[in-house]
Amino acid sequence: MPLRHFFLWIISLLVYAFLYIPLIIVVVFSFNDSKLNAEWAGFTFHWYKVLFNNHEMLLAARNSLIIAVSASILATILGTMAGLAIHRYQLKFLPFLAFTPVAMPEILLGVSLLLFFLQVLNLTLGMLSIIIAHTTFCIGFVTIIVRARLQGMDESIFEAARDLGATPWQTFRHITLPLIRSAIIAGALMSFTLSIDDFVITFFTKGVGEPILPIQIYTMIKVAVTPEVNAISTLLMLLTLTLIIIATRFDTSMLKGDSKQPR
Amino acid sequence: MNSSLILMRLNLVLLILISVIGCTHQEDSIVSTQTSTRILQIFNWNNYIAPETIQRFEASCDCYMKQDYFSDNEEMLAKLSAGATGYDLIVPTGNAMDTLIRQGVLIPLDKELLPNLKNIHPAYLNTQFDPGNQFSVPYAYTITLLGFNANKIRDLGLPTDTWAIIFEPQYLQKIKGRVTVLDSPRELLAAALLYLGYAANDQDEAHWNQAKELIIRAKPFWAAFSNTSYIREMAIGDLWVSHGYSNDLFQAAMDAQKTKRPFAIDYAIPKQGAVMSLDSMVLHKSGKYPDLAHQFINFMLDGKNSAELTNLIGSGNPNVTAKPFIRSELVQNKVIFPDEDTFSRLEMITDLNSTQRRILSRIWTEIKLR
Amino acid sequence: MVLTSFRLPGEFGGLVPIHILSEDANENPGLTIETYQFFFSDFIYFEIFIKSFAVATLTTIICIVMAYPLASLIARSHKKFRHLMIMLVVLPFASNFLIRIYAWMIILGPESTLSHMINSILSFFGIAPVTLLFSPFAVLIGMIYVHLPFMILPLYTNLEQHDPILLDAAQDLGASSWQRFWYVTWPQSLPGIFSGSALVFIPVLGMFAIPDILGGTSDIMIGNLIKDQFLSTRDWPFGSTLSIMLTLMVLVIVGLLSWLARPGTRTI
Repeated sequence: MPLRHFFLWIISLLVYAFLYIPLIIVVVFSFNDSKLNAEWAGFTFHWYKVLFNNHEMLLAARNSLIIAVSASILATILGTMAGLAIHRYQLKFLPFLAFTPVAMPEILLGVSLLLFFLQVLNLTLGMLSIIIAHTTFCIGFVTIIVRARLQGMDESIFEAARDLGATPWQTFRHITLPLIRSAIIAGALMSFTLSIDDFVITFFTKGVGEPILPIQIYTMIKVAVTPEVNAISTLLMLLTLTLIIIATRFDTSMLKGDSKQPR
Repeated sequence: MNSSLILMRLNLVLLILISVIGCTHQEDSIVSTQTSTRILQIFNWNNYIAPETIQRFEASCDCYMKQDYFSDNEEMLAKLSAGATGYDLIVPTGNAMDTLIRQGVLIPLDKELLPNLKNIHPAYLNTQFDPGNQFSVPYAYTITLLGFNANKIRDLGLPTDTWAIIFEPQYLQKIKGRVTVLDSPRELLAAALLYLGYAANDQDEAHWNQAKELIIRAKPFWAAFSNTSYIREMAIGDLWVSHGYSNDLFQAAMDAQKTKRPFAIDYAIPKQGAVMSLDSMVLHKSGKYPDLAHQFINFMLDGKNSAELTNLIGSGNPNVTAKPFIRSELVQNKVIFPDEDTFSRLEMITDLNSTQRRILSRIWTEIKLR
Repeated sequence: MVLTSFRLPGEFGGLVPIHILSEDANENPGLTIETYQFFFSDFIYFEIFIKSFAVATLTTIICIVMAYPLASLIARSHKKFRHLMIMLVVLPFASNFLIRIYAWMIILGPESTLSHMINSILSFFGIAPVTLLFSPFAVLIGMIYVHLPFMILPLYTNLEQHDPILLDAAQDLGASSWQRFWYVTWPQSLPGIFSGSALVFIPVLGMFAIPDILGGTSDIMIGNLIKDQFLSTRDWPFGSTLSIMLTLMVLVIVGLLSWLARPGTRTI
């Protein structure tokens, strides 16, 4: 038994290493005193200075962060509801509707959304259009993960709650929500990473003259991968880390007051 | 209780976000106070104008300049055909400009407002894409050619003035896995056609198939199709030969020089000829300030401003008044200022019709799959 | 309330295909069927589909193998650490996608430490040196790297809800650890595996940036083909045709898989 645990730890650490090795390169090279990022040439803060003087880049990072947070919140709420609806009503075709935006190639989705915004909604392209677009493709991911969680759940809990006279809203608040909370968090995290990375859909749905980070980075890389791009990536990760830590602080305090959580 | 906590958490995240916005708020307010002034909106290639040029223009026009970037003409066309609006000025390449003109989305130029147009060398005016320059003014150009690691190629005794080096197995076997070609059907096909002795714009399907065979034969020796990453890989020394754009190879050469590599990157126009991509400034119908755009075009036609771009990225310069402002080591560069003999070997790519495009796409897919 | 809120994603999802169809009709009124004929007339496109599905399947399987131990470790750890561990999985993905891919270019490059290491081992056994970058191997690594969290997260959410009493019961009945895994944990985790597989398999099919950047000269996938139709050949009808074929195939596969995963959910 301890041997098996040991084994599990080793594999897990290897997987973490796999996830973090490229990241270490990104962070280390953001302090590298060479424009080419080919080998270590000495420690410098130069690229961070360059970055902090690049207002367009900072604005782009800010815009992207706003979009990612808004889109992931919206997508999480809507996706969770969609997941619940699919589970609750057992409709055969609904899962396919939720899957379609996930299964659709990004370019097609980008072009279709652009046409949809311009010709159907008559919307001016801007932050709003990007947020809607990102929400659209994130919903499917959240739905899938929430639905998977619900699928493995014991229906009798809900029946018990109903028998005890709980209203549907009470059942949702006190039973369903705590049970699917980890799926909701996972869905939100996934939406966030999807949104902050998305290039194709953002390119099509962004408005005129608005810097968005993935686009900014893409066009910069076209010229050269300067360590400045590594620097902004590092900062973005730090910021995300802080956001998540603060968010999970609340979450753990929530866990303590939550006695209904099984196990 | 749980849900209210979740809501609190969301609020907190939003709060943090707002404080983040607060941090960057300062520069934002600068922009917002000046929204009353005019903003010239440009859809341009990235890094295709010198920062000091922008500053001087903004000072001279009492306006602001904002840029959106594209990295491929087709990207720009796709976004515009889907209905994106608000661009005063676009900088497309010849064949893409041809498409825009045929789509009727450009505003004809008012030559009265462009006295500096006389600065452009006549060879770059009156092109097949826009006879009489009704809609366009040349901006800068790049030439698709061969870049190479000068030291390596000298050591291996390979020629540098012919497309054979990327197509002939006898040369390729010495540099296997150290060669990239452009990930662009038109550019690669043009190179193969030129090597076979046809024109870059040859539209004979039989010739295309010949070119396809040539490419498939050479492909096992290539490392990859690459449009961007070859710049860095050349500068590091991982790649020895690249089919690429003169601007990008100029960048690679500068990077190698700046980081004191033990080798030099050089580039040359093959004797069989090469493709020239002339980028022009055009006015889009959806723009708010056509007069301001005219002012910008005239400003860019000034020799000094045009020279700044060439000094920055090594682009070809069609402006006859630019030379005095060009860095001395670039003046003799035949790729930036081609002599008559070189110029006669350059060809601009024309647009294909939809049937031809589909045939080419089919050929390209086969090339990529085999 | 739940139902009305669901209408939003449904509408979006539903509207998209309608637009594609109108796209076809606008650009080339009589050509809609012709593009499909063009697709079916040529085996080469079918070949790319098969190849892409193979890459996607392989990526999915490797992701399952890598994600399962980690997800179960996280699910079993103390509540205090769980969120930290999950967060550590997601954190690298807050940096930029392209930057991470470029980091892999550095790792796999011909002069990198890893390349030298592998090639010196290979030459010890008398095998010719290999290039890691610009190869199907590099594409696979990139695909796994980018999509691994999409397998870990659903698996974790599934494994986290498993009731340890079942495992204890199995142990009391004399089941070996392998039997406990195979007859208790594994069937229960099928919904998680299924949704994780969907979230890995489907995006891999549409991915074009990784084959473009890390791939060699023969690593074209269906995503690249579709991208080319929109951003190079300017053949939107054919691009739409390919997209619809891809979407349909994916939906059929998802339908089949969910049908297969169903018995798993009943064993609880």
